[in-house]
Amino acid sequence: MRHRYLFEQMIRRELRQKYKGSVLGVLWYVINPLVLMGAYAVMFGVLLKAVSIEDYPLFLMIGVIVWVFFSQGLLLAAPSLVIQSALVRKVRFPRETIPASVVAVQLVTFAILLTLLVPVVVAVRGTLGPQLLLLVPVSACLFAFVLGLGLAVSVLHAHFRDVEPILAAALLPWFFLTPIFFRVDELPGLSSHRWAEALLEWVNPVAPFIEAVRALLYDGAVPGWDVLLYVAVAAALALAVGRALFVRMERELAVVL
Amino acid sequence: MSAALSPGEAVLERASRSFDVRADQARTVKEVLLRRDAQAHGPPVVRALDDVTLTISPGETVGMVGRNGAGKSSTLLALAGIIPLHSGRAACGGRVVTLLELGAGFSRDFSGRENAYLNGALHGLRREDIAARMPAIEAFSGLGEFMDVPVRTYSAGMFLRLGFAIAAHLDADVMLIDEVLAVGDEAFQRRCEDRIATRIAEGMTLVLVSHDLGAVERVCERTVVFDAGRVAFDGPTAEALAYYRRLAGERSEEQVRA
Repeated sequence: MRHRYLFEQMIRRELRQKYKGSVLGVLWYVINPLVLMGAYAVMFGVLLKAVSIEDYPLFLMIGVIVWVFFSQGLLLAAPSLVIQSALVRKVRFPRETIPASVVAVQLVTFAILLTLLVPVVVAVRGTLGPQLLLLVPVSACLFAFVLGLGLAVSVLHAHFRDVEPILAAALLPWFFLTPIFFRVDELPGLSSHRWAEALLEWVNPVAPFIEAVRALLYDGAVPGWDVLLYVAVAAALALAVGRALFVRMERELAVVL
Repeated sequence: MSAALSPGEAVLERASRSFDVRADQARTVKEVLLRRDAQAHGPPVVRALDDVTLTISPGETVGMVGRNGAGKSSTLLALAGIIPLHSGRAACGGRVVTLLELGAGFSRDFSGRENAYLNGALHGLRREDIAARMPAIEAFSGLGEFMDVPVRTYSAGMFLRLGFAIAAHLDADVMLIDEVLAVGDEAFQRRCEDRIATRIAEGMTLVLVSHDLGAVERVCERTVVFDAGRVAFDGPTAEALAYYRRLAGERSEEQVRA
């Protein structure tokens, strides 16, 4: 990649701006998902007894870290060009490095969380096996997926400032419809609505990513070929569309910002 | 785009660009949907560049003067590739370095030194290229131990020192400067002008937008006078400034009468 060094500098800048004056620094990225996971584990697993999934906190945590990567990546990418408008208006450089560095910082967090989580899940669930190697390509696909959408929302938000609030509003219901704290095929309400099961599993593009990571790590199995294919196609499609949109819409950025 | 421009060349060919003043403000979806309605009122479109043709050869020093809104800054932004044209062509050959606003490419939480790396990277340099230039940047800026302090503590003068020191050492083929030198003290301005002269001798091209006619006179051999988005005069600096002073006089008389 031609702009590797610039990209590296932009990531450093992003990290520095994020953590100036914060004592715990990068640790916050680990603490936030843990708090979220803890709340859901207590609520659904202990108090409501709504689910009877083994090692529920670990089950939850896998969905939570994928979701946090996806949602934080998009939420932080959306306003990124507007935040860096001084730079965009005064220097000519590859502007895609702005949203890309934001998403890359979220990838780093995701990688750290996953690295911490893998030994724990493997030890508790006994899922050590060669299938774990597939976590690398699946994570790469997840990165490409979030990056593509991040490019799109950042350049769209620069032109239409409604994009970020719309996104923020959409992500809350989206979270509950995503199989983070449940398995789609175990939802009791779905037995009479089989079509809704397909909807939750296949129309929501985040679901297959969670399903894939969960199969590899929590179940110790290779996900179905349909899930893997979906993940790869979603990544390629998001990246292609996001890049095309960015290239088309970035020309006027210095004017609209 | 840059069909065989040699390093240091800068060209505008029949360049036109207008700004819809309403489009300058970010639109919300509602406004886009109601766009036709909004367009009925509102100011007319501003033609910032109206069929501008300029050819600048390597090693030239070109000043650009004109009243506010005459098109000088738009020309610079178009040459830098920051704003696209509606028609015509704008291009520079080789590495273009811009100094359009003090501290524009800076991260406030980075030290002066870290910003030098960031700025170099923004202009397409690699880490080792910037490291090799660091001693020269440090010496030129005269910032001393402030090089390792976050720039949010800098004064305007210090921003200029750092910004110019970096820009002047990135091996630009074309350097585009917009009105930033004015905040430096006189001694530092002289130093900047000396450094520019050295780089010009090495073949760099300079385009300087300024209201400081004294600086234009000292630095630029050729000057372009802009008026209402068009080139009103293009020639040797002494003649151009005389023309500009006459034009400015006429304009202020018009305003008095009106």
